[in-house]
Amino acid sequence: MNFELDEELINYKEKVRAFALKEFTEEVARTHDIEEKYPNELRMKALHEGIIDFMNPWKTMIGIEEMCRVDPGLGISATVPYFGAEVLMLHGSDYLRENYLAKVISGEKMMGLGVTEPGGGSDVAGLKTVATKNGNEYVVNGSKMFITNGTIADFFVTLVRTSKPDDPAKRHRGLSVMVVERAFEGFSSNKLTGKLGVRATNTGELIFTNMKVPEKNLIGDEGKGFYYIMEFFNISRIFVAAQSIGIAQGVLDRTTDFLKKLEASGEYVGEERKFKLAEIATRVEASRLLMYKAASFLFNYKPNPTITSMAKGYASETASFAAETAMEITGQTGISTDLERFFRDSKIMEIWEGTSEVEKIVISRMILKGEKNE
Amino acid sequence: MNEQAALMRDSVKEFAKQYLVDKATTIEREGIGKDTLAAILNQGFIGSNLPESKGGAGLDKLSHSVLIFELARVSPSVAMHVLLQNDLVLPLLESKPELIKGILSGEFPGVYINPMMDGFIKPENDHLLKGVIGSSSKYAIAIHSDGKVYLDYGKSEIDNDSKPLGMRGLGTCNFNVEKSEVLGEKDLADHLLLVSSLDIASIFLGISQGALDLAMEYTKVRKTFEHPLKDYEPVSFRLSELMSELEIMKSALFSDSIEEIMMLMLKNQAASFSRKVTRYALQFHGGYGYLEDFGVEKFYRDSVALNAMIYRPTVDKRFLATKLYSDKSGFL
Ligand SMILES: Cc1cc2nc3c(=O)[nH]c(=O)nc-3n(C[C@H](O)[C@H](O)[C@H](O)COP(=O)(O)OP(=O)(O)OC[C@H]3O[C@@H](n4cnc5c(N)ncnc54)[C@H](O)[C@@H]3O)c2cc1C
Repeated sequence: MNFELDEELINYKEKVRAFALKEFTEEVARTHDIEEKYPNELRMKALHEGIIDFMNPWKTMIGIEEMCRVDPGLGISATVPYFGAEVLMLHGSDYLRENYLAKVISGEKMMGLGVTEPGGGSDVAGLKTVATKNGNEYVVNGSKMFITNGTIADFFVTLVRTSKPDDPAKRHRGLSVMVVERAFEGFSSNKLTGKLGVRATNTGELIFTNMKVPEKNLIGDEGKGFYYIMEFFNISRIFVAAQSIGIAQGVLDRTTDFLKKLEASGEYVGEERKFKLAEIATRVEASRLLMYKAASFLFNYKPNPTITSMAKGYASETASFAAETAMEITGQTGISTDLERFFRDSKIMEIWEGTSEVEKIVISRMILKGEKNE
Repeated sequence: MNEQAALMRDSVKEFAKQYLVDKATTIEREGIGKDTLAAILNQGFIGSNLPESKGGAGLDKLSHSVLIFELARVSPSVAMHVLLQNDLVLPLLESKPELIKGILSGEFPGVYINPMMDGFIKPENDHLLKGVIGSSSKYAIAIHSDGKVYLDYGKSEIDNDSKPLGMRGLGTCNFNVEKSEVLGEKDLADHLLLVSSLDIASIFLGISQGALDLAMEYTKVRKTFEHPLKDYEPVSFRLSELMSELEIMKSALFSDSIEEIMMLMLKNQAASFSRKVTRYALQFHGGYGYLEDFGVEKFYRDSVALNAMIYRPTVDKRFLATKLYSDKSGFL
């Protein structure tokens, strides 16, 4: 068993860190946070400098962690223009891949994923957006809530209901995924402002009013949308674990620095604070190992949803724990430096792409079903 | 709870309902405006715990902590303003009756720096105080680099470049010191924070109550998987546990006689409890909890920020350990 990254990944990690340290300056991070502004220039720079590498998921994961370690809001912003791309990669027709996916990968376009609705996010199958077939198009009515890139993306991979479930107890049947363009008639969006954190990311509400979507924009088979989205979450949750570990590691870096300086200046540090530091560090390591395990299953085409949910759930709780504990350790310094931004950013990790409670539902259900985790 | 405290609770609740509830979000975004400062003053909240001979209302300790608790439940920033004025600023200005008069008449709002920490920060420069809590005043109270408590005279500039983590309603400013006068040794601030333990516990518990109020309401109406959230054990059991802990602490907080050491114990418990409660309250709001408009994220921010602002875990825990062991403890 080997717990070390190979040379290629080590070099890549260093390259991403150097990029983030150069580009994510405190000034840039603070301005985008205060003004709630998406850093489009960073998206393009990251792409042009080869920081985003879609062909290697290990690199994507490690890149996300390294960028969030320097600044979560900017790190997520640089990597989120492709959010939902895996659904197109795995199930999109040639037409969809050429017309949408390829343009996102080249940086020409930005995309998003529309699953959550005002009435619910955890209960994916409870969605209310309806797509009715009319000739060779669908007429879509409904809305989506909290959609990342909501007012800036060119198109969204969107989950809708295309037929009533054949059994009321099986609501996940009859759902489909389609590509919805901002340019379609009947599409509108509103920016959501006043978020606690990740304020450099763009979040919006999407409204569909008799929006016509060509049939060719259907992704994969009609009625299989729920499975495609669950499959996607099993991939994306590993990347949320990476965001979380990046945040927790960033917090650990800053807290360590703070205590070292305090000690060097002859101020009192105390064992209590050192123990708290040790606890953060231990949880960061444990989360990372869990993420690597989940990633190694997934990237070797043997996805294991239990381990993935454990990785996402534990890493996201670690991010909150680390940030909250760091605020306790650093006191006044913490609330007046970038640590407070890390603290605000950390909390979203336990909410998006499956709340902590949802992850526990998945884990317990799978364990009780007798799923193996080795 | 005695009669005076019960009366106080009812009247602050009424004030919160009639006035503060609708304003709480605006206060977060734009600061405690002149109208709110005037309303607080009109209600007699500022200086309420000062003896009548000094222009106050002579409120007992319990009634004052009820006041802080009920205000924090709706707007922690407003509660913090009252707490800072009543427990720190006015007592520190004991030798300055003209300034006390100015604060009580509303001539100027009090201004204060965060001087009360575990020795984390000392001002880099005694002539420019950065990150002073409060928006504008001719006066600031600060611990200078020599560790003593000073009254500073000068000019404040509102700090528009930063958005504080918590207690946003108070605002922050940078203060250019023109003249300074010693108010007391550093021990004075430590002492005041210690005797304010009950009010500090009140603000933490008021924050906890405010967050729990919102979480209980939300989980009654929000449905997932065709059930209200309250039907799920992880939601309702957790909220019930938190409510139980809170009620137990409130029964100590609002008892007619509470020993000094219990006040400190309560403050320690309330400080970490409020972080836990507010985190869960936000979590149970899902995505909506992450938005300012829903009013729950502010409790989480305020709880964490307050811990850094006026809570000194090392000093307090040493004091507690030493009391409990009846011997100097927590010192190597
Ligand atoms: C900034 C931001 C960006 C986002 N980006 C996107 C995006 O790009 N695309 C997208 O589709 N969505 C996005 N989301 C939505 C996010 O995924 C949802 O908020 C999340 O899934 C939770 O859904 P909800 O908000 O409806 O909460 P709810 O589902 O209403 O849940 C509320 C609370 O109840 C708990 N709960 C629910 N059911 C149960 C149960 N059975 N047992 C125990 N507890 C339960 C939850 O864990 C949570 O704590 C984003 C959200 C935010 C805030």
